[in-house]
Amino acid sequence: MWFFDYVLTGQNLALLGAGLAVILAGIGSAKGVGMVGEASAGLLTEDPSKFGKAMLLQALPGSQGIYGLVTALVIVIKIGLLGGTPVTLTVGQGLYFLVAALPIAIAGYASAIKQAKVSVAGIHLIAKRPDEYGKAIASAALVETYAVFALLVSLLPILFAKF
Amino acid sequence: MSVSKMQRLTVIATMKDADAIVQRLMKLRAVSIEKTSESVPLPDSYAPHTDVSGAAARVARIEAALPVLSKRSKRKKKLFAAPTPISPEAYRTDGRYDTAWKVVEETHKIIDGTAECRAQRQAVIDKMERYRPYLSLEFPADFKGTESCGFLAGSLPSGIGFTKLSAQLEGIAAHPTQLIADNTGLYFTAVYHRAEEERLLRALSALGFMRAALPAENRSMTELYQDAEEELAALDTVLERLETRLAVLSDKLSEVEILWDVERTALLAEEHKRDLAATEQCVILRGWCPVREKERVTSLLSLFSAAYEFADPEEGDEVPILLRNNGFSANFEWVLGMYAYPKYGTFDPTFIMSIFYFLIFGLMFADAGYGALMALACFGIVRWCHPREGMRRFLLMFGYCGIGCIIFGVLFGAYFGDFPLAFMQNVMGIPADQLPRLSLLPSEAANIAILFDPLQNPMAFLILSLGFGALHLVAGMAVKAFILCRRGKVLDALFDIVAYWVLFAGIGVLFINQRIGIILLAVGAGTVVLTAGRHKKGIAGKAVGGLLGLYDLINYASDLLSYSRILALGLAAGVISQVINLLATLKGGGLIGFLLMIVVFTIGHLLNLAINLLGTFVHTSRLQYIEFFGKFYEDGGTPFRPMAPSDRYIKDVSLEADTSPTTISADMTRD
Repeated sequence: MWFFDYVLTGQNLALLGAGLAVILAGIGSAKGVGMVGEASAGLLTEDPSKFGKAMLLQALPGSQGIYGLVTALVIVIKIGLLGGTPVTLTVGQGLYFLVAALPIAIAGYASAIKQAKVSVAGIHLIAKRPDEYGKAIASAALVETYAVFALLVSLLPILFAKF
Repeated sequence: MSVSKMQRLTVIATMKDADAIVQRLMKLRAVSIEKTSESVPLPDSYAPHTDVSGAAARVARIEAALPVLSKRSKRKKKLFAAPTPISPEAYRTDGRYDTAWKVVEETHKIIDGTAECRAQRQAVIDKMERYRPYLSLEFPADFKGTESCGFLAGSLPSGIGFTKLSAQLEGIAAHPTQLIADNTGLYFTAVYHRAEEERLLRALSALGFMRAALPAENRSMTELYQDAEEELAALDTVLERLETRLAVLSDKLSEVEILWDVERTALLAEEHKRDLAATEQCVILRGWCPVREKERVTSLLSLFSAAYEFADPEEGDEVPILLRNNGFSANFEWVLGMYAYPKYGTFDPTFIMSIFYFLIFGLMFADAGYGALMALACFGIVRWCHPREGMRRFLLMFGYCGIGCIIFGVLFGAYFGDFPLAFMQNVMGIPADQLPRLSLLPSEAANIAILFDPLQNPMAFLILSLGFGALHLVAGMAVKAFILCRRGKVLDALFDIVAYWVLFAGIGVLFINQRIGIILLAVGAGTVVLTAGRHKKGIAGKAVGGLLGLYDLINYASDLLSYSRILALGLAAGVISQVINLLATLKGGGLIGFLLMIVVFTIGHLLNLAINLLGTFVHTSRLQYIEFFGKFYEDGGTPFRPMAPSDRYIKDVSLEADTSPTTISADMTRD
């Protein structure tokens, strides 16, 4: 039964959760930031002075990756792997962390890409009408809401876990 | 906290005064101009008397010289350079204007000279490249052979070796000699019998032969090459001399920058004048002027023989918007501007927004350490670096928000996250159970908070966030009620706003006293159901409208839940800083531990500050734009942009220039 003793342990499941949060949200953010970066490079060839505005829009889909990282860090701290004594988790407890990490992993991935699409549209907007910059940011920020909610729903169960 | 009252200004002046009036109105920064030539159709226009293209060409000429000089300038580069105080009139007459133009013209001469030199230099280098393979040639460059013997020099494409060449020339009375073979090709000479010339050339061209392009001079290649080298050196000396001269000229960079502003002001004046309508003798200028600037404009215009009139805006006029706020709130106007300016004659929410912005920003990014950094940096730059007006307000706003972060940071015990605790535990070695527990709400874990630590009591923080959110939403509804009352629609305010408040109060009281709660709930819900459909036609429409009014409750609930982002972002910042502190203090005490701590602490926290500053700014703004403005805001105004001199590098200190900050539009996008 080495499988249950060494592979399918509670700790590994919790780490899988932490990993998924970083990996999926991170992939989403990487894709998103990349998409906006490509679009803004096009804008900057025309008008390099818009770099500041373009960069802010580019940074927006990056936040999901950070939310994934935050979730992962909280899990790792909670199970005592970062500056504490490692806690022995049952498989059920490990699964608890894994499931708790799923909202930010999945919603983070999807929302980063959707947000990037809005940001790319925002780049096109500021190319033509730089004054309407606030609206471009606001529309992109609307998408981010759901990543923030996912982060909240991931974080709260992890913080409240009493083991 | 209001939208300034505006009046339409119409000025009729004589042709000869037009220039002076426009120039001096620009200095006042109190009047915006519209394209009068379009709104007042007159047979003539002032445009032929203006020279926009000439002024634009002068500005362009300076703009071409500026980067060349600033690249070489030894002047210290500053992010925020203080503007140079000058008086434009004196500047034009005291010789500085001419001196600056001389610098620009000389810079242009040098730019052109440098370009020419570079082109010549490239030509020489190309020539040397062509000569190099034939340097070992023993004959003069123009040697063509003797009476019976021909001589040629040239190259074959790379990849063809000398042996292949020899094989190709088998049976032809020709003798090839290899000069050099490199990756550009095989270079060789050949001596041949004149009678065989045709055969030889045919055989060679089958291989891709290229005859060498050598000069028709009776000198050796080495000599020619040396000449070229000397030529190159001479050109380099010239280039160097030009460069040195540029470096000397670049000391005058500041003068050229002043010149740019002066000429750009002239360009703006020409453009404004082009917009004037004109008859044979007179010009007409139409624009907008804030009522409180009327006196200054009047006293200026009375100096000229001009007729002028101030008139209240009429229906359908697009009145530009100038916001007027106190010293604190005015710094938040640009946040409003990023969304949209209010319509003329409507409510300016900047004051209320600024208070909530301050509170929500502080709550979302509650950390005394980060807040202190922000406040110090922003106020410091404003105090010592004299940023321009738009940038000054931008920085002041973040400075104030930093103070908000400090206040909430102290309440929640966050100083660069949990750094004090991490330091005590990991560096000073205090055991975990002896660490302080200061918070008002009991907590098992160590903390130095006054109220509670958000990471230990997320629920308390969530309730606090939603509480602030509820306050924000109610404030937004109150503004709507105020607007409705001001328009005499008191009943609308009662039915659309107050009824919901009764409903909210009922839900709240339900937890304390069920009977009163249910009564309030019933009164509120009843009013909504009975009145929300009052504008609909027919009984059925009214009934459906009433029920849909109750559905609004869901919108309010989702608005309220949106404020939970305060918790999420606050936790994110807290967790990351906690990890940074842990890594920083991991090594414990000692010299290496101390150095490691400083490095990790500095880099880590600066990074976290940058990430969270962006997030907090975006989300605090969003809460204003969507949740708060959504309740009442009527947007669609265009900002008031008065005619003004260009002032990127200079500050006009001549007597009549009055740049009182109240008249300067705080528009960040203005250059």
